Amino acid sequence: MMSRKPPIRAVCAALSLALIAFVIGAAGPGAAQSPITLNVYINGDTNIFDLWNKTLLPAFTKRYPQYRANFVPLLHGNGSQGVLDKILAAKQANKPTDVDLWETDPTYVTQGAPNGLWVKLTTQLIPNLTRVPPDKLRATDYYSMPYRGSSVVIAYNTAFVKTPPRTLDDLLAWIKANPGKFTYCDPNTGGSGQAFMVAVVYKFAPMAQYTGGAPYDQAKEAAWDPAWQMLKGLEPAMYNNGFHPNGNVAVLQLLAQQNVYIAPVWSDMGTDYLKRGLLPKTVKLEQITPPLFGGDSTVTAPAGSTHLEGTFTLLNWLLTPEAQQMVITSVSGYPGVDWKYMPASVRQQFADVAKPYAPLPDSKYFADMQRLWHERVAGGG
Amino acid sequence: MRGVLGFALVLPPLLVLVFLVILPAISAVITTLTPATGVVTAAPLANYAEVLGTRTLRTDIVFTVIVTLVAVAMVFCLSYPLALYLRFVRTRIAALLGVVFMVPLFVPVVIASFAMITFLVGHGLVSTVLFRLGVERFPRLVYNATGIVLTEVWVSIPFAVLILGAGLQAIDDALIDSARDVGAGPLRTFLAIILPLNATPTMITLTLLFIAIFGSFTIPYLVGGNAPQMLGVTMTNYLTQYLRRTESATMAVIAFIIASVIGIVYVASVSRRERAAP
Repeated sequence: MMSRKPPIRAVCAALSLALIAFVIGAAGPGAAQSPITLNVYINGDTNIFDLWNKTLLPAFTKRYPQYRANFVPLLHGNGSQGVLDKILAAKQANKPTDVDLWETDPTYVTQGAPNGLWVKLTTQLIPNLTRVPPDKLRATDYYSMPYRGSSVVIAYNTAFVKTPPRTLDDLLAWIKANPGKFTYCDPNTGGSGQAFMVAVVYKFAPMAQYTGGAPYDQAKEAAWDPAWQMLKGLEPAMYNNGFHPNGNVAVLQLLAQQNVYIAPVWSDMGTDYLKRGLLPKTVKLEQITPPLFGGDSTVTAPAGSTHLEGTFTLLNWLLTPEAQQMVITSVSGYPGVDWKYMPASVRQQFADVAKPYAPLPDSKYFADMQRLWHERVAGGG
Repeated sequence: MRGVLGFALVLPPLLVLVFLVILPAISAVITTLTPATGVVTAAPLANYAEVLGTRTLRTDIVFTVIVTLVAVAMVFCLSYPLALYLRFVRTRIAALLGVVFMVPLFVPVVIASFAMITFLVGHGLVSTVLFRLGVERFPRLVYNATGIVLTEVWVSIPFAVLILGAGLQAIDDALIDSARDVGAGPLRTFLAIILPLNATPTMITLTLLFIAIFGSFTIPYLVGGNAPQMLGVTMTNYLTQYLRRTESATMAVIAFIIASVIGIVYVASVSRRERAAP
């Protein structure tokens, strides 16, 4: 079925080859004896760019002077499809790719895996991989390596909330008892809002049915009905009689202005806001039971890279306490390695949030949840 | 020979139009008429029935039309007097005002939207002033239809003033003077001379405003509420968030049909002017 190549693919392939030829040609002379340059492609927001460009890569090239790093930013993942097509085109033409390391979404890793685009990571290649919890590696079939993570947690203001809710049921009861003092962002606009919505869905429908690559069956979504009824019932108790701000940041601002006293926020954003004094000191973060969802950010090594030795060196270094500490300091992320490899001070800092988190629903179920939230909760029917 | 050269010059935009607008539009229409995979017996208009059968989507369509009509009416009522003032009052202040009122034309829509949000939110300037004046209870001004209308009006006024003003400039002063000479007051002059002579620019302004506001995305996305939403936002959500391409395309075709009714009015008024021109 895959043998007939659509013409658009061929054109893309030709264009990518031309681009690669241009890049190789341009880098040809003069690059002979100088250090090896690794092209590091990073998907993310500006804070992640700063993490790589200002912190991780300078530290890495200082420790390993035989390498240099060329940082290629892909803001919010723009251009990711192009990068995947480029790597695929190079592979199909039996040419090397200039992408030596790629931080990207699991969906691109999954798309490229059947074509053999990625190196399967083992502890022989990367000794420090033993420090990563194996289930995290299994999530992408060892084709990518988590180096930082975050989850959605509950932020509460101790000035107004004396006994914070510890469970989802406590939280739901608190919302009803304190109308106007809680909200979550529109699930279309941020993961923190999605996590609250998904947690209520998981309360009524077993999450195993919608996660981990379970087959898609729209009929299974009928089990979500009580969740929509419950969320709809909460609307009058939301901030401003049912107002959901756009985006994760807007929720943090409502917390900062003390318009709401409890809200779901991303662990890394919340910690960062607290560190920078953008949230009152009385705001604390905690994970509830059952936990809200979270995820890891992973890096992948393209098999067609000509500098795989350098890539493996960088991957191995990323899992050292030195690099992991940088991740925690600059973006307040969770470490990619198991918490037990982190110093006690770090474990102390994250004690209230460093707990297991729920998995994201599979993309089709997730898309339907967001649509149904709009139809059944916001849209009022 | 000149014909060939002329055709060669219009060829690039024509190709862009054909390959980037017309062909994708046709393929989108075909998509909307094709039943979803797995459904064997479905009417050709099944997708339309589904979209129009979804209550939230019906609400969104009606909401979009109403918000657009209200915004167009407000822009028009605010711009016409302004255009008249700038046309007939020849003072330094009028000239200065003419420049000041053009400012929104040079402010990017994203920035205008965020400015309106900070201006209108619960702790913003407008609320603070109202509160100081003793008004403690007033409807929310942003993240709803009110916010969208106010921002669309703010952004659209210069455009409306420009087109209406250009039409007013074209009216011969002699006509107005002679109307005054035979004793017509300002209102009579306006109703009998200015309004009819400026009818075509008026129609053009109204139709272009309608289409621009109807299809806007940035303002309703940033200033609008969770529900109902304007079609631009709903279509984007269906395409990128809900992974429902067909529904999104179906809504686009419905939006296109609504806009093309207005487009016919526009073409009719423009071609009438063409014919009227010597």
